[in-house]
Amino acid sequence: MMEKKEMSETKVKRSILARLLPQLRSLSKRGPSGWMVIVGIAIVAALVTMTAIAPWIAPHDPNKANVGPLRSPPSLQFPMGTTALGQDMFSRVLLGGSVMLQVSAISVFVCFLVGVPIGLFSSYVGGNLDKAISLVIDAVYAFPGLVIAIAIAAVLGPGVINMALSIAVVYIPSYFRIVRSQVLSIKELTYVEAARSIGAKWYTILLRYVLPNVVPSIVTVLTVNFADAVLTAAGLTFIGLGVSVDIPDWGYDLTKGRELLSSGGWWVITFPGIMIILLALGFTFIGEGLSELLNPKLES
Amino acid sequence: MSGKTEIAIVGLVLIVIILSSGTMYYATTAINNISTLSDQVTSLQSALESKFASLETTLVVGTTDSVELTLDPAQAYDYFGWNIMQQVGDTLVSVSPGSSTGADFVPDLATSWNSSSDLATWDFNLRTGVKMADGVEMNATHVKYSFDRAIALEPSIPEGAPAGLGYDQIINRTDVLGTYKIRFVLNFPFSPFLGIIACRASAIVDPKYAPMAQVNYTAGDARASTPLAFVGPYVLSKWDRVAGRDMEIKIDANPDYWNTPSGYPKTKHIIFKFYSDATALRLAISAGDVDMAFRQISANDILDLQTNPNVKVWYGSGSFIQYFCFQTKLGFPFNDVRARVAIIAALNRSAVTQTVFLGLAKPLYSIIPPGMLGHTEAFETLGDANYTLTKSLLNQLGYNEDHKFEFQLWYESSGHYPQSAEQALLYKQALEGSGVISVTLKNADWASYKLNRDNEIMDAYMYGWYPDYVDPDDYSFLYWGAWLHTNYSNATQVALYDQARATTNVTLRAELYAEIDDMAVQQCSVAPLYVSGAWAVTKPSVFGIYLDITQDMRYWLISK
Amino acid sequence: MGLRSYVITRIILTIPTLLLLLTAVFVMMRVLPGDPVALHFEKKATPETMEQMRHLLGLDKPLWAQYADYIGGIVDIGYLLQHGYPNLGKSMQTTTEDVGGQIFSAFPATLELAIYSMIIASVIGILLGVAASKAYNSVWDHLIRGFGIVTYAIPVFFLGIILQLVFGVYLGWFRTGLRISPTVQPPAHITGLYTIDSLLEGNLMKFVESFKSLLLPSLTLGIILSGVFIRLTRTNMLETFRLEFVTAAKARGLKESTVTFGYALRNAFLPILTMVGLQFALLLGGAILTETTFSWPGLGRYIVDRINFRDYTAIQGAVVMFGLFVTLVSLVVDILYAYLDPRIRL
Repeated sequence: MMEKKEMSETKVKRSILARLLPQLRSLSKRGPSGWMVIVGIAIVAALVTMTAIAPWIAPHDPNKANVGPLRSPPSLQFPMGTTALGQDMFSRVLLGGSVMLQVSAISVFVCFLVGVPIGLFSSYVGGNLDKAISLVIDAVYAFPGLVIAIAIAAVLGPGVINMALSIAVVYIPSYFRIVRSQVLSIKELTYVEAARSIGAKWYTILLRYVLPNVVPSIVTVLTVNFADAVLTAAGLTFIGLGVSVDIPDWGYDLTKGRELLSSGGWWVITFPGIMIILLALGFTFIGEGLSELLNPKLES
Repeated sequence: MSGKTEIAIVGLVLIVIILSSGTMYYATTAINNISTLSDQVTSLQSALESKFASLETTLVVGTTDSVELTLDPAQAYDYFGWNIMQQVGDTLVSVSPGSSTGADFVPDLATSWNSSSDLATWDFNLRTGVKMADGVEMNATHVKYSFDRAIALEPSIPEGAPAGLGYDQIINRTDVLGTYKIRFVLNFPFSPFLGIIACRASAIVDPKYAPMAQVNYTAGDARASTPLAFVGPYVLSKWDRVAGRDMEIKIDANPDYWNTPSGYPKTKHIIFKFYSDATALRLAISAGDVDMAFRQISANDILDLQTNPNVKVWYGSGSFIQYFCFQTKLGFPFNDVRARVAIIAALNRSAVTQTVFLGLAKPLYSIIPPGMLGHTEAFETLGDANYTLTKSLLNQLGYNEDHKFEFQLWYESSGHYPQSAEQALLYKQALEGSGVISVTLKNADWASYKLNRDNEIMDAYMYGWYPDYVDPDDYSFLYWGAWLHTNYSNATQVALYDQARATTNVTLRAELYAEIDDMAVQQCSVAPLYVSGAWAVTKPSVFGIYLDITQDMRYWLISK
Repeated sequence: MGLRSYVITRIILTIPTLLLLLTAVFVMMRVLPGDPVALHFEKKATPETMEQMRHLLGLDKPLWAQYADYIGGIVDIGYLLQHGYPNLGKSMQTTTEDVGGQIFSAFPATLELAIYSMIIASVIGILLGVAASKAYNSVWDHLIRGFGIVTYAIPVFFLGIILQLVFGVYLGWFRTGLRISPTVQPPAHITGLYTIDSLLEGNLMKFVESFKSLLLPSLTLGIILSGVFIRLTRTNMLETFRLEFVTAAKARGLKESTVTFGYALRNAFLPILTMVGLQFALLLGGAILTETTFSWPGLGRYIVDRINFRDYTAIQGAVVMFGLFVTLVSLVVDILYAYLDPRIRL
């Protein structure tokens, strides 16, 4: 079942890449920031692909205990060593990204779907409605993020979707604020006024005039959101609110690996840790590069 | 823009960072040396003294426990609360250190005792010359007050130990027969009564500090924070709590201790420090921040520390057990004995004790742990990973390789029990190894897990137990315990149990508990999984650690 | 709009925000599965004893009554003046301790950690950010930017345990946990911050001992947060460099360092100040993980404990206090911003 889902995910991602490639080529001409974006995309694509094809190339069942000696260091037979239960780390690393990727993708998706429309609508309409909604969003923003995520995860119970939802709630205000600050400055621009004066409907204005200008900043927030979601998911697993033990997960190995590190077992925490850092890095590179590209003031 | 400037700035930043950390390191050690010179002299003195006798040494103990709420015997029901109370208070009798059965009772505040032949009346002769606060000598009225208080407070402290152990149901009344003689009249014959007397809920309180109300933590005043009579080897001199968690507990040798001629307590001052989790505690003992680490250190760390020359690892027997529970109310096939037996037969206990606990736990085949009266190997008849039995039983119920028996196995995931996730994974793999079972693992944090248990929605789940008093009477009922919500009951087993607690005849009791075990094997409503060992880690200079079946750490025996 | 009316408007606006926060967390708590009553009984419990406990905790009252008690307690000024902290109810786990008291006793530890982490983060961040902006597009620039990005991507507890192992166990320079060395008595409580209190007491040894315990957790959080400061400082400095007054200053022949630190940094400072304010608020998330890793007895660990205990009143209280803190910090930052930049008030 997991294989089929991974297959269609891969197909979708590959078609997106096909459309993006020409744009990537133009990016490479834009200097170091452009390279940053390319590197970021490459990292993310590599990790996604690795996770997608993992079911076929993983040498062992990642959950099966005692396939090798308990907590043995990397060797020829087990290139990344074994866990405290004798599971093969290499297989676990190959397959463990699936949870992180799903959690961050779903949470970003939800965040985006909720935060952006509300932000657009509220700031465009303005007035008391805008003030009221801003107040509510400010209240949510004042919540300590990880605490909400912990509380919601405790309410909903463990699982990929529940973790994603608990993270999503925390980040909605960021989208709202970015969108709102952009819209507030855009909606006073002359050409928007012009569109209004010729009688264009509010949703046309929003979609055709405002949204395209807002998209660049949203994309930046999106990538930071992705990176943060990955790290928050790791944090939730550390507290004990992660997925079930029979689903290989980088965050789980990171948490359990910490217990082994104190007795010298470095391989259980290091490899998943590097993967998590790489994943977060990939998204951050994309975000950093994009924000630099889209910020005209720094062009010299 | 000149390239030299940037390099200079970055270089400068790096140099500043290196220099400041170097300076800080030097400064900390230098200042340390200067200002702790007088401390060093004192510690040098005491180091010399300890060469001949442990007079004024301090033992620093690190732990991940914390007193749950109070040090009031009418309320406290947690391991650590009981442990601290044991150092500063006393009971009429106690269990001999190193006991393997938990039934070796020795005189403590009582010098001798006897019971009527019907085990419903118990008399104790108290020790004379035991000083409480202000030189007041302990006598029978204080003992009566302690028990009357515990029972009177039960309604207002429903979560407390006396309520949980059922003091009001066991004890009818206490009579003062003389200044140093006290009588307990029980409501029914009860042979494990000495175990109840030895447990911490029976600690003697000082009426001066023990009103007829719960005594709570008072910041900055250790004496006012507990109603206990300080008749034990130590007195509570400092108890710091921040926001519901202990920060520091300090106990000092009791100058009025009745047993000082024995040389106890060996170490005069003990400081308890509190760490968040097992890894943090392990790091502390590795770094030498504490002299002793007790509860909890993980199995991996223990095996690693065995090879570390800077520490000493102590092992002992344990009485913490975990067991498998079935929700029998869920209908077919859980209400059919064959399904339950099939599942238990497919489990592989030694895989778990070897792989997860690295041999520091032992497979358990009776609900009563080894060493105690009534322990058997009853569940061995079902075997481990006994797939032939599993398949034949499940085939009878219509399950086979193409139509597997599917159910959910729950485990708690917030660390309340040790290594629950790893255990669950291995149980699942053992069960699925039979080829006719398919297990879905589900987990919940402790609060939700308890709720699920009470709402009876879990097909099968793992639970744990540590004893209040070390007697088979405190274990055997687990097979049908109502609060486990397995919805299993068996009048025959209950009758055997009641019979066993009404006699002191050891042979008879053993037979009765064995019968209960055998019936449990046929029913498999609750099946024992493993019994945990116990361990502690200390610096090499520490001696006197007894890890016996009571799980009590008697700090007064420890010398440094 | 003058400064005064701006300030007043902002203060008034915080009240409905806080009220929303209070209500939201109240509702959220009641939705959490897991019964605080059941958690009091480790072993055997009868329905009667559980009912007694339910009554003790006030959970048998109807929801609106509980809500009224809750809000009523918070606005009880008399209680606030008497105790020094608001009436946030009694902890449902300990049933006898005031939540307000618990939070106020746990807060100084987190505050100390936050302050030192902030100092480390901003010092590293600003210095490296300035250096990177001066060395724009060179190898150093890329290295520093890379460092800034990578540090933020490291999970807190990963970095924490590495530092614990290297500096605490192998080198033995600093402590792996707790706020002060086990054999040393903490300084007398004045602010609750051990470093400050020991200095106030004049006890240098205690200062050193608490510093040795404070360094590793602050370093962990500080390094991770510094990434944000590096990038922000660098970006803002680069923007400022392009402004004309900087070119003018250089044309007048002023020294590089004066231009950098006297003119450019001062102007870039405002957004950095805002970021400091915002990051302070976000610190609690990282603090939760850091406090667990380093056995630091602060508010983060308190909240995680309370969630496990389903201690409704305590969680409500902690979130409310924290929300208040965040709102206050953003209020102060906003006012400071308005004071420094008159354009905002319009």
